[in-house]
Amino acid sequence: MSAESLVAEARSQVDDVDLGPVHAWKRANPGGLAVGTMPIYVPRPLIEAVGALPVAIFGGGDQVDIIRGDSYFQSYICHIPRSTLELALGGRLDCLDAMIFPSICDVIRNLGGMWRLLFPEKLSVYLDLPQTFDLAVGGRFFAHELHRIASLLEAAGARPLNDEALVAAIRVENVRRAALERVDALRRAEPWRAPASEVYLLARLGGLLPAAEHTRWLEDYLTAAQGRAARPVDNVRVVLVGAFCEQPPLGLLRTLEKAGCDIIEDDLQLGLRTIEGPIDLREGEDPVFSLARSWIERGGATASRYIGDDEKGRALVERVRTLGADGVVFAAASFCDPALLDQPMQEAALARAKIPYTTLKFAENTGQFQVVREQAGAFSDAVKLWGIA
Amino acid sequence: MSDLPHLTAGIDAGASSVKVVLARSDRGEGATLLGSVVQRIRRRSLEEVVRSAFEAACGEASVAPSALCYVASTGDSDAVPFRTGHFYGMTAHARGACFLDPECRAVVDVGALHARAIKMDARGKVLGHRMTSQCASGSGQFVENIARYLGVTLEDVGALSVSALAPEQVSGICAVLAETDVINMVSRGIGAADILRGIHASIAERLARLLRAAGAEGVVQLTGGPAADAGLVLALREACVAGIRGRGLDLTVRSHPQGILAGAIGAALLGARRFADLIDKGRFDVLGRDALIGTNGGGLA
Repeated sequence: MSAESLVAEARSQVDDVDLGPVHAWKRANPGGLAVGTMPIYVPRPLIEAVGALPVAIFGGGDQVDIIRGDSYFQSYICHIPRSTLELALGGRLDCLDAMIFPSICDVIRNLGGMWRLLFPEKLSVYLDLPQTFDLAVGGRFFAHELHRIASLLEAAGARPLNDEALVAAIRVENVRRAALERVDALRRAEPWRAPASEVYLLARLGGLLPAAEHTRWLEDYLTAAQGRAARPVDNVRVVLVGAFCEQPPLGLLRTLEKAGCDIIEDDLQLGLRTIEGPIDLREGEDPVFSLARSWIERGGATASRYIGDDEKGRALVERVRTLGADGVVFAAASFCDPALLDQPMQEAALARAKIPYTTLKFAENTGQFQVVREQAGAFSDAVKLWGIA
Repeated sequence: MSDLPHLTAGIDAGASSVKVVLARSDRGEGATLLGSVVQRIRRRSLEEVVRSAFEAACGEASVAPSALCYVASTGDSDAVPFRTGHFYGMTAHARGACFLDPECRAVVDVGALHARAIKMDARGKVLGHRMTSQCASGSGQFVENIARYLGVTLEDVGALSVSALAPEQVSGICAVLAETDVINMVSRGIGAADILRGIHASIAERLARLLRAAGAEGVVQLTGGPAADAGLVLALREACVAGIRGRGLDLTVRSHPQGILAGAIGAALLGARRFADLIDKGRFDVLGRDALIGTNGGGLA
């Protein structure tokens, strides 16, 4: 299968707001639970280990008109909770047997509360991600949280959690992560073979599939992309930063690419990449604690993770330098507090390091990209020609 | 590959026409234009027109594609799959205008679907810009539509407009309203010259506002398809004298016979500069020889 065909198929599945891939999984796995997970991070192996399918929910994107969802959130709230409720109230998320709301911001917390009121018959779980990065404290707490979630899923009909199944699921997850890293490596080295807009779709597809199946997709794409006839283009190499929970429309990524930006790294599908490297399994350790330890020790410096102010932006500067990027494009979702509160500190760190950057805002249903085209084109040219933004 | 001079191509894939320029320069400076072609898209695919115009320009310049060190696109980059790199239209027009008129420090680029005012420095580095919003009433396509209603060829529009004796006023806000105005004028027996002058005045007023908003100073070059439209040039000069709310704009409006090529010229010259920079920084190896159109013909026959 060609890279183009794989990407087209991935897009059709990602754009399917009726969650066709989830229905297909449930038909193939009678009695299996489908567990919706809101961004940014929920440990997927834990859910797979109890025989359930973790389903990453990213709202309705630009696929749905918001009618009922708007009545639940004020106008100064981001878009993803509205479209998620719109999908749910329209019955499009009925195939989900449970929802997990991680503690990434107040809006998602409120969405979790509304969910409980609106869908009392469905299991709804709030997952506290620890903000104390001490294994003895935050690690213990997070492991306890994960055990609690496994128990709740079991009560809802999932298999009981056991060490063997979780170790196996973590190993499968690590294989997927390695495959994703190989795709990312190709994008960094030869972005003309694996443009970000394609890699994004392939990565996002993983939110709808078991890890093993997603790995096959990634491997197929990698083979096809490496072999495709593609020519390098003199673009600027940028890192796209948005602390992404709400996803930008694909058109925004395509606009950045058409404006001359090779997006060599992004935090779009943060949940799949927020743990840096493989999940570290240790002999004799409770694998649930291994999951917790990975988050504590290897969690990326995201906006949903409390890090001292003086450290904000340091990881970004290091990443830009390591990757040999020319600059950074900030693209935060409108009214996304975590992203927009972090951004000034990250900008300051970039300015100190003399790294060019530009800032955009979007909503998941943004349909006009003229302003983005103007800004990204001007940024790309300024970096290319004058070395500044 | 860094040997001088730099032979480069600029391809401006616009909404209604494709412009191609081949240039010889030293890092984009001291350039000589070796060939240029403008082809209307009409009902052909844009990519097809790009290839056709590029081949024609290479033929006119007697330059083999393999001799080019950088093929720069501007406009729709996807229509130029064999490009080495891409420059945004604003950047390309600013550089092209500086080549055509080294004294200019601002550009009014009137494209088929939009217009923008750009302020730049002597190098062509953009310092500020303003662009028309959704409405097409400041665009070249608008003039074309009106000319078609009036049964006037595009080539005759400028001269007719300049000859107007009693220009009619049309909407400067909305192209649809302006077209309705024109239909009413035709039914009232208003002559084509007066209607066209009214259209030009309406467009010029919008362009003057853009220039003021962009902070333009000194000499302004009109670029894009309508650059050769004497009626629009005259109307823009008058609009600048009249100014906004009675305050004149201290601007000298000029046009150049090759104003339509400004984007392509700018792209070609910026491509030469970029190529030399990449060589200096040792980054062309990273980009790879495949990016050079000469290594594989870029898919061209």
